[in-house]
Amino acid sequence: MDLFNKKGKTTSDMIFDILIFVFSVFVFLIVAYPLYFVVIASVSDSTLVSTGQVTLYPKGFSLFGYTEIFKDTRIWVGYKNTIIYTILGTVLNLLLTLPAAYVLSRHEFKARRILMFVFVVTMFFNGGLIPTYLLMKELNLTNNMWVFIIPFSVNVFNLIIVRTFFESSIPKELFEAAQMDGCSHFQFFGKVVLPLSKAVISVVGLYYLVGHWNDFFTGLIYIRDYSLQPLQIVLRDILLSNQVFADGAGSGGASGGYAQRYADQIKYGVIIVSTLPILIVYPFIQKYFEKGVMIGSVKG
Amino acid sequence: MALNNPLAKKVNTNISNVPLMKKPTLLNTFIRDYQLWIMILPAILVIIIFNYIPMYGVQLAFREYDFTKGFTGGEWVGLHYFKEFINNYMFADLMKNTVVISLATIILGFPAPIILALIINQVVWKKWKKMIQTTVYLPHFISMVVMVGLLNVLLSPETGIVGHIMKSIGLGDINLLASENTFVPVYVLSDIWQHAGWNSIIYLAALASVDPQLYDSAKIDGANRWQIIKNVDLPAIVPTMIILFILSMGNILNTGFEKIFLMQNPLNLPVSEVIATYVYKIGIISNQFSYSAAIGLFNTMINFVFLIAMNYIAKKTSNISLW
Amino acid sequence: MKKVLNGFLALSLSATVLAACSNEKVDKEEAATTKDGKAQITALITKHPLTQDLKKMEWLKKVEEEAGVKIKWEEVSADWDQKKGAMLASGDVPDLIIGPNAITDADFVQYQGLFEDLSDDMDKLPNVQAMFDAKPETEGIATQLDGNIYGLPKYQRFWPGTATRQFINHQWLENLGLAVPTNWDELYVVLKAFKDEDANGNGDKNDEIPMDFSPVGTGGFGFFQPTVLLGSMGITLAEGSGQGYFVEDGKVKNFFTDDRYKEFIEFLSKAYKEGLISKEVFTQDYTKFQSVARGTGDVAKVGYTYGWELTDRFGITLAPQYSPMAPLKKSADSTEKLSWAYDYNSLNYGANMITLSSQSKNKEAALKFINELYDPEVSMQVLFGSLGTNIAENGDGSYKILPPTDQKMDPGTWKWTSTWADNGPMYIADDLKLELGSDMQSVGQQTEPLNAVLDAVDEKKDLYPGMFIKYSKEDNSKLSLNNTNLMSLAMPKFSQWITKGGIEKDWDAYVKNAEKTGLPENIKIMQKYYDEYMSKN
Repeated sequence: MDLFNKKGKTTSDMIFDILIFVFSVFVFLIVAYPLYFVVIASVSDSTLVSTGQVTLYPKGFSLFGYTEIFKDTRIWVGYKNTIIYTILGTVLNLLLTLPAAYVLSRHEFKARRILMFVFVVTMFFNGGLIPTYLLMKELNLTNNMWVFIIPFSVNVFNLIIVRTFFESSIPKELFEAAQMDGCSHFQFFGKVVLPLSKAVISVVGLYYLVGHWNDFFTGLIYIRDYSLQPLQIVLRDILLSNQVFADGAGSGGASGGYAQRYADQIKYGVIIVSTLPILIVYPFIQKYFEKGVMIGSVKG
Repeated sequence: MALNNPLAKKVNTNISNVPLMKKPTLLNTFIRDYQLWIMILPAILVIIIFNYIPMYGVQLAFREYDFTKGFTGGEWVGLHYFKEFINNYMFADLMKNTVVISLATIILGFPAPIILALIINQVVWKKWKKMIQTTVYLPHFISMVVMVGLLNVLLSPETGIVGHIMKSIGLGDINLLASENTFVPVYVLSDIWQHAGWNSIIYLAALASVDPQLYDSAKIDGANRWQIIKNVDLPAIVPTMIILFILSMGNILNTGFEKIFLMQNPLNLPVSEVIATYVYKIGIISNQFSYSAAIGLFNTMINFVFLIAMNYIAKKTSNISLW
Repeated sequence: MKKVLNGFLALSLSATVLAACSNEKVDKEEAATTKDGKAQITALITKHPLTQDLKKMEWLKKVEEEAGVKIKWEEVSADWDQKKGAMLASGDVPDLIIGPNAITDADFVQYQGLFEDLSDDMDKLPNVQAMFDAKPETEGIATQLDGNIYGLPKYQRFWPGTATRQFINHQWLENLGLAVPTNWDELYVVLKAFKDEDANGNGDKNDEIPMDFSPVGTGGFGFFQPTVLLGSMGITLAEGSGQGYFVEDGKVKNFFTDDRYKEFIEFLSKAYKEGLISKEVFTQDYTKFQSVARGTGDVAKVGYTYGWELTDRFGITLAPQYSPMAPLKKSADSTEKLSWAYDYNSLNYGANMITLSSQSKNKEAALKFINELYDPEVSMQVLFGSLGTNIAENGDGSYKILPPTDQKMDPGTWKWTSTWADNGPMYIADDLKLELGSDMQSVGQQTEPLNAVLDAVDEKKDLYPGMFIKYSKEDNSKLSLNNTNLMSLAMPKFSQWITKGGIEKDWDAYVKNAEKTGLPENIKIMQKYYDEYMSKN
């Protein structure tokens, strides 16, 4: 274990490592317990869960929640749609955002400040839902899969993050050197900047990816055809169909009894079903957060 | 900026195909920097089409919405709805609650991911590091409905685990969900729990790009771990920190709607009614498009002023700014 | 290297081209008729989330067949309000929109010209006309202030006079040798005994929750809440009473500033202080409220509470321990006329269940379809499900609702799963012979202790007829704005006074503040509409 590897370490460093370790265990436990709770709640009897009898291990074990979720065939269509929208969307996002961020990071680019302002304004002011809806309708994007991909494909927040990274982490000398070799902006961007920025590209890629994955508003407002709906809409429908009615009698009857027992199972199960695929992506991205990844890529 | 930067100037002359170093005007930047313009053009187009074209909708805040006359054909009422909001019986409380919640979120929520990233970055045992990194970012994916449901289950004084722990350490049975005093702490801390890990990713990425040689030379200089954090790690993430801080100040009047709405109960309402939930309550029942547009615009204006001010301060003090 | 860059550029350019391409008008206009000559129409329904795919509903297939239409359905079960805004404001509406108040009166005022006025199409809607003739109040629900009819109502006949019943655990009473309470004082004694003794007999004296009620929202009161106790002092809750409004002797009042409300709070506050009301009553959600009452195994946890029906409230195991109670008097010598929450109108009528777009290309066919839905025998299937699977025909012109095929399922859930149920437009004629399912029967039985009081409610003088009143746009927004302000004052006070006390000290200042929220103005507005309605009926 590296923790107890004393080689080349002073006593104060040892203490430091131990402190860090203790603190990280503490953080880990606080974060992990509720997550663990979600998992055990997804296979436990809901009545036991909401009366606090499920704490350390599942009680009233049943996979009803998951069978109920996967019984719904729409979920596979939802998965398929979401995967398509997420991949295409993220690729387009990066294609637009990365070059733009590079340009805005170039201090010699005269329009830089004014353009930046123009971009930032859109983070604050918008025309509201209805004008946007009318625009989509005009562009024939309503009830059309491209509405998930093309509109708002530049997220200004992400753009700013990438630009900040380019500004602060790409050494100025590199561009100078490239100039000497007669490199154009296109070449410098593709050959030097991108390989050096794997870390930030993976972060922003992840932001975009998760944004697409979790997007349910677009489906709600612009899509009428169920075969185009993303996973989140399908899951939301399943979730709602299993919730007890808070207004039981108002909607005409005692429908609680049956659905009640499993309502929470489905609620928690839905979280797991929608999050697992994202979990798989993370380790691929994580490796770019290792120290020294940048220099390595220049040499390579 | 470009003009004051000798390096940039030198670079300019090298890169441009324009032989004479004319005084830079907007026109000749098109010619000289055509490559840059090509690279940014798609982004500009997308922003103009999808963000700027619908912006005519902003005028709804100054008009009486009238379906039959078209979206922008309603009668011009000027600042009528703004005045109505400011003179509203609830106005002072709404502003206070909104600012308290979002300031608390910024003050406590902003440093949390930074500290977390610095600590994760210091963990030496690789497997453990990966494990903790993966764990802390997971809560981000819990939907609001479930998040509030979790709070209800875990914080219940009778049956929740936090309730039990509080009892066993002698804090008595305080119902954390039922008090005006605990609403903001519960809201903010659960927010940190949910998003600090996710937000630390960006800092981890910035830390990853620190040149390893810097660590080596710091070690040679005899710096201890704490000094390395202070002198190498921290400076590497400062630009990101400043930019994110400016942006978060630009959200001063934006509080999460869904979570607050779901967490509201009659006992905490005096501190939990914020602008967003109030707008929802008055708008949903009576189609008050114009009124809610006006309140939205009011919010935006204040946010924007904060952003511009913060940006100005940051620029003066650290030379880092949004534009 | 150049190749890579060029490729990259080409890609990013093609993205913009892609955006441009999608601008090409793809005419998706639906053909007005299908190939086999049927009229093609589009419809949207806001169905209950449990409700199955409309394609699987046998009765619906037959009705479409009968009306000679082919309907392209869009099924919405969540977030309708958000979706609706964009849809209406852009004028992008389907031919038919179905669902309880899916389009509201306020929408008709706001979006003039978007919906077809049906008042001049009555000759094509004989079944609807029959409903209007037999139940003139339904025509009242349908008719807007301008005299036009945009949305059609429903009448579902069988629902009880109230949504809220009070239940007490009679086994606990027996265990402790107590009688069923008949007034507040006795109730207090009983609750106290539940608290102090081991009422459920499991050896633990502290696991009993004497009293519980459903989560009180921040926007006002709802069903299954103790406000029904206000009936002990003669206040008849009705539509609007969530926000405090009621009518007494022809006068519109609001109980939030009424001294009787103060007495009611004092009672609850006393009970809470003694630990007689669940400590989590203001923070639990509906799931928890329901779960707690289901106890653990055969050990009950809750003594006295409110609900819709016994099995729904306590589960099959515990339900036999509980029984419904008659309304309580305030004290043994109280002579006040008793009342309760009167929900008959809101449970049996519904406004704007179906609307027709004025731009529909197939109005004739759509009208025919609407008319079919209001045929009493079709309506019965709209509500309870298809003949054969959900309803049996007895052969003598009478019908019987069948129990669920899945034994684990309760009849209520089955109804919601099988068909549109209460979310559909319907007219269940009074002369239709139909034997109800077990759930509706037991709700009926459990309402019996309340019936005497409910029947005695003076509908002319003590009931606000909210269901039948149409407000103008200005009055409507005024009312809702003032009510939002009133609720943000009153609801926190309600919960504070109960949990922390202090009503004595706060009351006068509170009443003054309530006036400032616009309460007197609202009462004036509602009185105006009430008088107008009463003078006509």
